[in-house]
This record gives sequence, structure tokens and C-alpha cells, in this order.
Amino acid sequence: MGALQGRVAGVARYALLVLPLAFVAGALLVPLGLMFVWSFWERAGFWIRPAFTLASYAEFFAGVRLSVLERSLVVAAGVTLLGLLLAYPIAYFLALRVRRDLARNVLLLFTIPFLVNYIIRTFSWVYLLSRTGPVNRALMAAGVTQRAVDWLLFSDFAVFVGLISSYMPFMIYPLWAALDGLDRRLVEASWLLGASPRVTFLRVTLPLSMPGVFAAVIFGFVGTFGESAVPIILGGVGYQLMGNTITSALDVLNYPLAAAMSSVVVATMLAFLLVWYLAFDLRAVLGKIARWRF
Amino acid sequence: MGPGRAGRAVAWAYIAALLLFLYVPLAPPLRFSLGGGGEAGTRAGAVTLRWYRQLWDNPLLVGGVQNSLLVGALVGLITPPLALLAAMAVRELRRPRLIVATVLLPLFIPGVSMGLASAFFFRQLGVTPSLLTITTVHVVWALPFAFLIILAVMATFDPMYLEAAYLHGAGRLRAFVDVELPLIRHGILGAAIFSVILSFNETVRTALVQGPNNTVQTYIWSTFLQVGLSPTLYALMSLLIAVTLGLVAVLLLVGARGAVSARGG
Repeated sequence: MGALQGRVAGVARYALLVLPLAFVAGALLVPLGLMFVWSFWERAGFWIRPAFTLASYAEFFAGVRLSVLERSLVVAAGVTLLGLLLAYPIAYFLALRVRRDLARNVLLLFTIPFLVNYIIRTFSWVYLLSRTGPVNRALMAAGVTQRAVDWLLFSDFAVFVGLISSYMPFMIYPLWAALDGLDRRLVEASWLLGASPRVTFLRVTLPLSMPGVFAAVIFGFVGTFGESAVPIILGGVGYQLMGNTITSALDVLNYPLAAAMSSVVVATMLAFLLVWYLAFDLRAVLGKIARWRF
Repeated sequence: MGPGRAGRAVAWAYIAALLLFLYVPLAPPLRFSLGGGGEAGTRAGAVTLRWYRQLWDNPLLVGGVQNSLLVGALVGLITPPLALLAAMAVRELRRPRLIVATVLLPLFIPGVSMGLASAFFFRQLGVTPSLLTITTVHVVWALPFAFLIILAVMATFDPMYLEAAYLHGAGRLRAFVDVELPLIRHGILGAAIFSVILSFNETVRTALVQGPNNTVQTYIWSTFLQVGLSPTLYALMSLLIAVTLGLVAVLLLVGARGAVSARGG
């Protein structure tokens, strides 16, 4: 093979390998960056025109939409925390108390419903939580309540149920991966040194699983903070979170405002990711599925 | 924490309860799609398939089905090679951490933001919304999942085989095609099926870049927003759930076959 031919092959190989990165950059990073730029432009008829104005941010932070941001943060934090409390025991049990092949099969069972569009699953909750739905019927049959409970649907409760069932499964995997990758000798050492199970958990297991906890927090938060469909379906009229407030700004053709709100959402996520990237080792969560060098 | 028998029973009961919580929502659409009519859920009438038959009389919906199939096929064809290249880049290029972070990024961008940024981008570039804009957004969305699947399968492949091929005078391409590809083929197929599943089940991102083109999912969403749910929509949802579960079954078969071939070969 000639030297030139070799170099051409090298360049071709390099071009192929960076192709996916170029694709993500061109189809996601550049549009996200431009969205941020366009959030400073101004409305012009049915579209936007170049300008540098903070009007959209002022409209966002001064108006009632600020309460939407607050509510979104509270809901996202609440759902993430509840999801963590629900998912951690499962991940702990599967990683440390169950044979690995069985654990994988159970994790698979958690994956399957997640693959069905969460919007379809959320429609089901409208029926399940309705006044005449199975949940209310079960509550009445069990004598918990005399009359149908009506705060089950079109309420914070319903939104929480919808969001948790949409995003909690996603939180189990990083937790499981972190706990499964834990060096068992450290736990044994703690036992040998006489620590109680509770102390071992709090001072050894839990701190070592923090990369997984943080990854799970990101997965829970990313899903819920920008969610647009669940509040529309389960929140009832006027229930606004960031996601559906952004789509309603689009409906009234206020594109710069939509871009500004969307940029705030993305910036929040990127801040989380940056902390994760800098503070934790990706390998603690992804380690077992890839043997790349760092 | 004492892993006694009672403790294990409680743990399994808890897992079963959470699985029930996740699986129950898959059932109601089927129930309402077979109902005799009237308001969904209030009357338990005779079982009928007429809502399923009526689906095919709706040209808008039939168009949506065709679009979903076409986009799904394109996403299933485009995503795995890109994911494979990304996984190889992690192995071959410098800064693997940065590469992983970049390819996984679409997982962490909320659907609305991803759809909105893409929609604005296409509009500013003068690209008319089409099946290709939908496909592009779906590929971005499916790429991290396909990447993780292929990365996982590649981790089971022993690079010594490649070294052996090089020692026998094979070039990089030849070594990849003859040695590595046969061993990770099922991972690539799995990534393709997974990408198709994600494409079939995407709404939020699609709705922002669809223009006048409906997919099945955006048809369901826009019909819900305009007129609410109906037995016809429930029939459609039931079909989508069935197709998704069917594809999951294929995925599992591919995975099981791959595990066997990896162990045997």
C-alpha cells in the first residue's frame, strides 16, 4: 500500500469515526445553541427577526410564568425524590441480594412497559384514576371511603402518578449499575470491623452508590422538568408545567418566548450534567458495559 | 437488611407491586377498543371489532400509518451504523469520555426542547417539514440507546481476535468485517429493533417537526387535543401496544440467540 493511499485510508477512517459526533453536533448542539441565540430575537409577524432584546426573558421571569417555573422545579424535585425512594430498594435488592441473571430478567421486566409510548400509558391513568375507575371502586369496596375520591384525577396527585410511572423505571438502571459494580470487599470489611448493617449501609454502600444516585436524579429530573404531555392529560385545565407552557407559547406564535423558556430548561439540564461530568466517573455507571480507556 | 426469608418475600412483593403499577396502564386501551360504543368505560357491552375495522376507513390515519412505517424503517436503517461508528470511535479515538458524553447527550435534553430547537433550526434553514425532518429527530433520539446496546455487545468481544487478524495480514476493514462484525451482529440488529420501537412510540419531538405529516402517534395526540379520546383511538393504541410488545419479543429472541452464539462461538 502506498504512503498516499495509506493516508487517504486514514483520513477516510477518521471521517467515518467522527461522523456520529458531527451528526449529534449538527442536529442537536447547533440547534440548541441557536435556540439560545433566537431567544434574544424579537417577534415579527409569524416568525422572528434579528435583535438583541431581553424582552422574552423579562416576560418569562416577570409574569405568571415564573410560578410555572417554580411549580415545575417543585414537581420535578418531588417526582425525582419519590422515584429515588421507590427505585433504590429495588436496585439494592437486585444488585446485592439476587443472582445476576435473575436480576437482569427483573430489570428487563421494568424496561418493557417503558418502551410503550408514555402518552398512551398516561391516557390509561385518566380511566384508572377517574371517579368510576378501578382505583376508586377498590377504595370504596375496601371501605376506605364512602364516596368516590375526586382528587385522584386532574390534580397534583394524578400528575405525580403519571410522571412516576413514566420515568421511575429509567432511574433503576443507573442505581443498579452503581450498586452492582460496588467492591463487595469494602462491605465485608465494614462488617468485619464490627459496623452494624445500618452503619455499613450509610457509611459504605450509600456513599459508594452516589454516582448512580446522581445519574438517577438526572434521569428523573430530565424527564419531569420539561414534560409537556402528562400535565395536559392528567393535570386538568390550567395545570401548567414548563413543557406545556412552552408549547402554548408556540400556539400563540410567541417563538422568542418559547425559545427563552426552552433555553432555561436546557441550561438547567446542562448544569446538572456538568456537575455529573466533573464530579463523578461515568464508568461508575456505564463501566460494565464498556471497557474504554480514559 | 437481614436477608432472612421474610425479608426476601417482602422485597419480591414490593417489586411485584411496582411492576403491577407499571403494567396496569397497558390494559385499559384494549378494554375500551372492544366495547360496543357509548361512552367509553361506562357500558360493558358485547365485544366488537368494529373500531378496528373503522381505522382503515380513515385516510388521514392510513397516511399516518404509512408515514410511521417509513420513518421507522429509515430510523432502523440509519441509527445502528451511526451508533456502531460512535462505539468504535470510543475505542479508537482520543477523548473517549467526551465522545460518550456527546453521543449520550440526546438522552438528557427534554423532548420539548429538542423538538423546538430542531423545528426552529429547520425553519431558519428553509427546510420544509417532511418525513426526513421527522426521521432526523428520531435518529438523534434513538442514537444514545442504540449506542449503549452496541457498546454493551462490543464489550463482550475480545479485541485479541482483532490482533490475531492483524497478525495474519488483515487490514482494519477486513478484520472488522470478517472477525468482529459476525460476533456483534446481533447487537446491531438489536439496536435496529430498539430504534424502530423508539420511533414508533415518539410523540413530543415529532409533533414539533411534523409539519402537515402525521405519524400514528401524532395522529393520536392531535385527535386527543381536538376531540378527545374515542374507541377508535383506543383501538389504535391497542394495536401500537401489541406491535411494540411484538417487537420487544423479537428483540428478546435476537438477544437470546446472540447470547448463545457468543457463548458457543
